[in-house]
Amino acid sequence: MKTKQAGLGLLGSLALGAIGIALFGREREAFPPRRQLPDRLALPLPDQRGAERLRGLRRGDTPRSPFQRWLGLPSSPAVSRAARVRAARRLNRSAGLLATSVLLDSALEHYRGSFRNPAMYTPLGVSALSLAASLHGTGDPRSGRHPFRSALYAAAAVTGIVGTGFHIYNITRRPGGFVWQNLFYGAPLGAPMAISLAGLMGSAAEHVRDDRPGTAPRVFGLPAGRMLAAMAGGGILGTVGEAGLLHFRGAFHNPAMFLPVTMPPVAAALLLNTAAAPARRDRWLTRWWLRLTALLGFAGVGFHAYGVQRNMGGWRNWSQNVLNGPPLPAPPSFTGLALAGLAALDLLEDEPDA
Amino acid sequence: MSDDPRHAPRAGHGRAPDVFRPGAWVPMREYGEDEAVDFVIVGTGAGGGTLACKLAEHGFSVVAMDAGPYFRPLEDFASDEAEQSKLYWTDDRISTGENPIQLGSNNSGKAVGGSTVHFAMVSLRFRPEWFKSRTLLGYGFDWPLDWQEMWHYYHEVEEALKIAGPITYPWGPPRPRYPYRAHPLNAAAMALAKGCEAMGVAWTETPIATLSAPRGLAHPCVYRGFCVTGCSTNAKQSALVTWIPRAIAAGAEIRDLAMVGRVETGPDGLATGVHYHREGRWRFQKARNVVVAGYSIETPRLLLNSATARYPQGLANSSGLVGKYLMVQANQAVWGKMEAEVRSYKAPPSLAITEHWNYDDNKDFFGGYCYMSQGPLPQLWANTQINAHGLWGEPLMQEMQDYNHQVGLKIVGEMLPQERNGVTLAEDKDQYGLPVPRVSYSWCDNDKALIAHSLGFMEKALGAIDATDIWRQEDDTCHLNGGARMGGDPRTSVVDADCRSWDIRNLWICDGSVFPTVGGVNPSLTIQAIACRTGDRIKQMATRGEL
Repeated sequence: MKTKQAGLGLLGSLALGAIGIALFGREREAFPPRRQLPDRLALPLPDQRGAERLRGLRRGDTPRSPFQRWLGLPSSPAVSRAARVRAARRLNRSAGLLATSVLLDSALEHYRGSFRNPAMYTPLGVSALSLAASLHGTGDPRSGRHPFRSALYAAAAVTGIVGTGFHIYNITRRPGGFVWQNLFYGAPLGAPMAISLAGLMGSAAEHVRDDRPGTAPRVFGLPAGRMLAAMAGGGILGTVGEAGLLHFRGAFHNPAMFLPVTMPPVAAALLLNTAAAPARRDRWLTRWWLRLTALLGFAGVGFHAYGVQRNMGGWRNWSQNVLNGPPLPAPPSFTGLALAGLAALDLLEDEPDA
Repeated sequence: MSDDPRHAPRAGHGRAPDVFRPGAWVPMREYGEDEAVDFVIVGTGAGGGTLACKLAEHGFSVVAMDAGPYFRPLEDFASDEAEQSKLYWTDDRISTGENPIQLGSNNSGKAVGGSTVHFAMVSLRFRPEWFKSRTLLGYGFDWPLDWQEMWHYYHEVEEALKIAGPITYPWGPPRPRYPYRAHPLNAAAMALAKGCEAMGVAWTETPIATLSAPRGLAHPCVYRGFCVTGCSTNAKQSALVTWIPRAIAAGAEIRDLAMVGRVETGPDGLATGVHYHREGRWRFQKARNVVVAGYSIETPRLLLNSATARYPQGLANSSGLVGKYLMVQANQAVWGKMEAEVRSYKAPPSLAITEHWNYDDNKDFFGGYCYMSQGPLPQLWANTQINAHGLWGEPLMQEMQDYNHQVGLKIVGEMLPQERNGVTLAEDKDQYGLPVPRVSYSWCDNDKALIAHSLGFMEKALGAIDATDIWRQEDDTCHLNGGARMGGDPRTSVVDADCRSWDIRNLWICDGSVFPTVGGVNPSLTIQAIACRTGDRIKQMATRGEL
């Protein structure tokens, strides 16, 4: 039975991995490969990469911001509107994945907590709206910031910070305060930041999309590609912390539980290196590692499904074990962040110093 | 044929029940009765079950017998207290003395796996000083064991049972990390924690032998709360689902419904095997070594009942100490009501603990106690009300309305060893035709002082968290230990540090009855640690040809 269960878990992981690969596949259809951009893009965009090139908006054309000077970064080039919108839509998609993860996870966990405090409904509403904004953004080929989406993403970013405050309050009022027992079983400290990350990624999407000819894409005053790489890297590290804490709670009883605390940190390091290091054309290792991390996020759902099966009654007793077992919606946070990292990489590879 | 494991043995014909898969079996090696096995072990609980595993894994041929049935936890255990009393040893016994012990639920077990099948899973290490309590603390007797060696074996048992415990333990010398993380605290445990914080003493999550994460085919705990009436999910790491499957896999044979009535000795004075009752008749199993592991009443009873012309006082009894120095543990409680619902019966009953008074020697009595949060099941709670307050009918119904609001703290307290407390044989005969044991118990002044101290402290702790209607339950005891104690001198002890009897070199005693003192913690972890040590020592001695 043990082998049968393990087999089922493996099959589930493979199936979910296949879905992930299919998603990447679709990406290629929707967005033509970077280095083979046709003269006429499939996307209905008013201006083209080639046209901008002709106008001479190239590396070194934009003045360095105080941040860039402070960090010793080179000045940023302008990126074509098509490339920006493509990157923005990818960011919308990763924000959407993060929001989905938060929506399902907070619904599950707060339902488990019987919505004792009415504020526990907030992340459901906000993440659902962020998801809607992200779907809208993912399908939106236009350039320019969308005011409603921007507002929703900003609200999501704030929600995560307020939620963290609530979760800290919950932990401090339990006996012992900040002790392992309460970090394990009190309100999870790191979880609300996932919706902040969704909000940040979404806001970044809107920034990147906010096309003004002749300027380099920026996020919060910094070059967009580098900034996004740093945000995705930091987000992955935070998520690793959360997964590490909860897998430690589970005593790493299955060796697979070490995967999310070993693979994603490498992705985060590569992303942080991308954010800070001199521009490089081909970051194939970073790209592939991020793809693997994205796949791991999906595979994690399969592993967690197997974890649910290992509780009393298994999936036949799903109504209890989905609540009691490892959280099914949690691992795709890694996918969302890895996709954001890939979008950042795309921005940087299109224009190495964006 | 009935499938009731209480009526017909399940182990046999080359197979034993697979406790992890409903209806399934595991292959089991069998030995002939005329074939002298290396070890026949009487009892399969914390002592016998553990030792059977260790010896089988060391390559010895082992037959382990238990008077009780071979249960399949996933199928045989109901969420019903009355039904589950089938796990207790309720054969006739006479209980006397100034403070007669109530025998049954919390101090006996009649099943393969012994009382670990329904123990509360609390898995605590002894305070190191207790192994030398006479020398270091001025009371009781010294053990012939070194605490640091025991620390090693405690760790072995904790790993074997995947004990779920706190990251750091507040008392005693450092210990390795518990293999699994502590369980979430239920409201009853939170009440203990708040009380301790109000009283300024440390508390922690109780190290407990129930899984907080999956392990093989065993599921993690579902917090059903029927722990002390038998776990139906296999989260509880009893001997039945840990040591015994390992023992069978290593080639041991388990015989269920096999009541051993007499250890046979030969003309050379050595043990030759055991007479046991199974399937309606008395049988004899030959063995090169006999291990008695029947716990503190059945072990002395069997040794006393095996008397011969050569050993007129019973086996291993040249010191006259077989059946003497029996110890129970104080198990008094303080109860109260909380305004908010507690539902203390959810989850394992003792999730939080303070061992403060085991490690603080600034008190006017010898020994120590720990106390833990409680979660009595409804029938037990009704019985408690009947016995303590004489409630019946409408008043009892009224009181039970507050069941969800009850909160309680209960000690496991050290009672001192006294020669007058013990086990003898009565004239009456039981269903096997064996003499019924007479168990005599009286508290000494030190026991009473300890109990008074604990009740006073716990009452303040409950008061500090605004519990109301606080009352003391003063009569309960739990756990048996002693009755065939170990020591360094054949004149003042029954067995040596290796659990080998001084008088008969192929007769061993491996259970709680070898305890010289009882300590202020639940004994199961120490019994298993001693069994692990004994298993290793037997292997060493066999290698050197000293068996």
